[in-house]
Amino acid sequence: MKALRDVALPPHSIVEEPSGLVLLAVQRRGVPLFHCRLSVPAGAGEDPRAKAGLAQFTADLLRRGTKRRDAHGVDELIEGMGASLLIDVSMDEAALSLTVPADLSQRALDALLEVALEPAYAEEEVAAARRRALSALQSDLDEPSAVAARATIRLGYGPAHPYGHPVHGYRREVETFGREDCLAFHATRFRPRGALLAVVGDSPPSGLLDVARERLAQVRWASEARPTPLDFLELPREPGLRALVLHKPDSTQAQLRIVSPGIPRSSPRFFEAVVANTALGGGFTSLLVDAIRVDRGLSYSVSTRLAMNRQSGLSLFSSFTKNETLHELVDVALEKMGGYAESGPSEDALDKARTYLAGLFPLGLESHEALAEQISDSLLDGVGLEHLVSYRSRIGAVTAEAARAAASDLSPARDGARIVVVGDGEVGRKALGGLCPVDVRPIEEVA
Amino acid sequence: MPLLDPSNFPVQEHALSNGLQIRLLADPSLPIATLYSFFRVGSRNEQPGITGISHLFEHMMFNGSKKYGPKEFDRRLEAAGGTSNAYTSTDITAYYEDFAAEALPLVLDLESDRMASLVIDDDSLQREREVVKEERRFRTDNDIDGMLDEALSALAFLAHPYRWPVVGWMPDLNRISRRDCERYFRTYYAPNNCTLVLVGDFQPAAALREIERLYGKIPRGDPLPEVPNGEPPQKGERRAIVKYPAQAPALLAGFRGPDGRDPDSLVLDLIEAALGFGEGARLKRALVYEQELCVDAHISFGWRIDPGLFEVSLKLNPGVDPARAEAALWAELGRVADEGLDEQELQRAKNYVRAGLLRGLQTANGRAHTIGQMEVMLGSWRAFLDLPDRYQAVDRNAVIRVANKVFPPHRRNLATLLPGELPADAVAA
Repeated sequence: MKALRDVALPPHSIVEEPSGLVLLAVQRRGVPLFHCRLSVPAGAGEDPRAKAGLAQFTADLLRRGTKRRDAHGVDELIEGMGASLLIDVSMDEAALSLTVPADLSQRALDALLEVALEPAYAEEEVAAARRRALSALQSDLDEPSAVAARATIRLGYGPAHPYGHPVHGYRREVETFGREDCLAFHATRFRPRGALLAVVGDSPPSGLLDVARERLAQVRWASEARPTPLDFLELPREPGLRALVLHKPDSTQAQLRIVSPGIPRSSPRFFEAVVANTALGGGFTSLLVDAIRVDRGLSYSVSTRLAMNRQSGLSLFSSFTKNETLHELVDVALEKMGGYAESGPSEDALDKARTYLAGLFPLGLESHEALAEQISDSLLDGVGLEHLVSYRSRIGAVTAEAARAAASDLSPARDGARIVVVGDGEVGRKALGGLCPVDVRPIEEVA
Repeated sequence: MPLLDPSNFPVQEHALSNGLQIRLLADPSLPIATLYSFFRVGSRNEQPGITGISHLFEHMMFNGSKKYGPKEFDRRLEAAGGTSNAYTSTDITAYYEDFAAEALPLVLDLESDRMASLVIDDDSLQREREVVKEERRFRTDNDIDGMLDEALSALAFLAHPYRWPVVGWMPDLNRISRRDCERYFRTYYAPNNCTLVLVGDFQPAAALREIERLYGKIPRGDPLPEVPNGEPPQKGERRAIVKYPAQAPALLAGFRGPDGRDPDSLVLDLIEAALGFGEGARLKRALVYEQELCVDAHISFGWRIDPGLFEVSLKLNPGVDPARAEAALWAELGRVADEGLDEQELQRAKNYVRAGLLRGLQTANGRAHTIGQMEVMLGSWRAFLDLPDRYQAVDRNAVIRVANKVFPPHRRNLATLLPGELPADAVAA
């Protein structure tokens, strides 16, 4: 392959404050916008036992009132600037972010910090949020791909793993959430140590840092100790295939997922794993897209993905097809993935995957939001900025041997994989019955 | 200084003798570029019997041309560090490539080759037809939003092609022939129906020379057939009921509005933002948070070449009577028509729209898309430069005037999804 030059990050500064908070300032010229993003170690992996969904619930409630203003006042504060407060809860963190025209940078920072650090968790707001969350969980059952995602996480990680539940939790557990749960979760997780505040704007990094420090001087962080560290178990590896079919009446199409354990983002095998996955099902000319969509017209969408969290991850196959061709889709997917695990990518496919990944990499650094997220995550995940600045050359250096090993070790369909189908129960049972044990359940069981 | 300083957008404008329009914007800040090809064709250019051909044809554009055979387009592009995609709307079909800057010569060669010499064969058409039918099952037949959208369009438009879904009706997807596709290609994929937009890390003079070399020899096509708009005025409220096994009811309301060039579209953009953007938006606050009728309330108004639809989608909480949600929706829209928006709400909406414009310009893809969309919808890429000022000039009286024009009861169209058994003869193939 022709080597593509590494990408220099725009001017930036990173400092750790005495409180333990990491400050990141990035200068992005050209568009008069300002972006701020606060990441705190309050992800769904931190949900207490029997409180699945509490991290998301606690984060969602941040916008429903602070000690200084009610929910309507918070909306006015943020949306009056023409901004939307984005709250993104992953397995590892809760991230709050705002993008505003550059002249509103100080107002945006003040608003972000007030909402994140001074929530009121008023009784009536907690009760209303609980009703909304329960309705939303029920409504999600109308979306087959959302149902498939919920089931895949539970099967992939196993119910005892900290990541082994959907971020939005389960109805039976959300029903128990109260104000005290929110206060306790917030007090122990929204702390400066382990948190990162990123600011991206048109000014030099030193100026952006000054603005951030000035605004931070006005706020108080929670100080309660974080509870016992989480126990990240080994992922379940029972031998043999097993399938779960979630019955959704009158479906004319079935969603299919195949899942196996993957790797954390900090894995030393990151680069070869990404290259091997891209050749298998990452790009539009991958092995599986060719076999399933282009050659057979079986599906509109087919992909494989490495879902990488800080401590562990999953290796996933996703597609869908009409009921009549579910059996064929499963056959082709398993056959192609089995063959690929044996042989790894061809020389051409390897070369294409490396250039594809290296060529597109800068697209993930274009916007204010993308810069803040990419650099923040690299720091928080422990891979460092080196991960970004040498990305292209390290992708380019992945050898055929390393890619082959990754293809074999990380195939979504390897021994012990779990299959999830969302669609008509009988269709699923017939399509998979000759292949492995099949458990058919109503979709309501994943709510 | 205006919010969108023209000096930040040194767009070069060129046209070839065959009618191809070219817009170039160089930006060396990252080693990447985006190429968009906008064709002025969408489902509004279709006829009954071949509905969905615009979208199906979009898929066919990736199936081989004279120089680059089947599978080669994306294979070559990805091997050079690029990716491609496309979309079809009621009015536009747009193709784009995001790529490492070094791949520009290849990208231009790939795009010009398929415009010059696309190959359509029966086998690839049959396979792509099956892929599109899967897409339809995914987005429409097994998706509540999709099935309501289809029902609403068929309700709101009696005579205009906006009546049918962009993805097409299933029997038409089965019927479209290779000859239909070839005719479609000759008619709508000529250079005089295309605007090319290139943004990113490249040398404009060299890029233009390459474009002229590759596209200059493609012959101009015939003038496009007119799209008749025989849509009669709406004389009364229209309703449709959809039965489907769902957890909760859902509503999709639509009002026929102005076309994209009508200044009233800007006013509707602000009403959309005031009612639907952000958690504190009027409709969300009332229906989701205060009255607890819905899980979500979503508003959508997109500019179209012919008068389009202002849509409100309500996903109801399980157990809520649709009549209650419907009454609450009409009351909120009526309040806008009676009182307009107060100063604070209107300014909030203007800020939202202004920030949205800026966010859309952060990436090479976003800038290329904005430039192309302005060209196709408003006639010039420059139109976005003064949009913030035009939005700022909208006042409360304009909101009241437009709301009274668009939202009166006789202009309502309402599709309601009621949870229930799907009728036995209604299961799509």
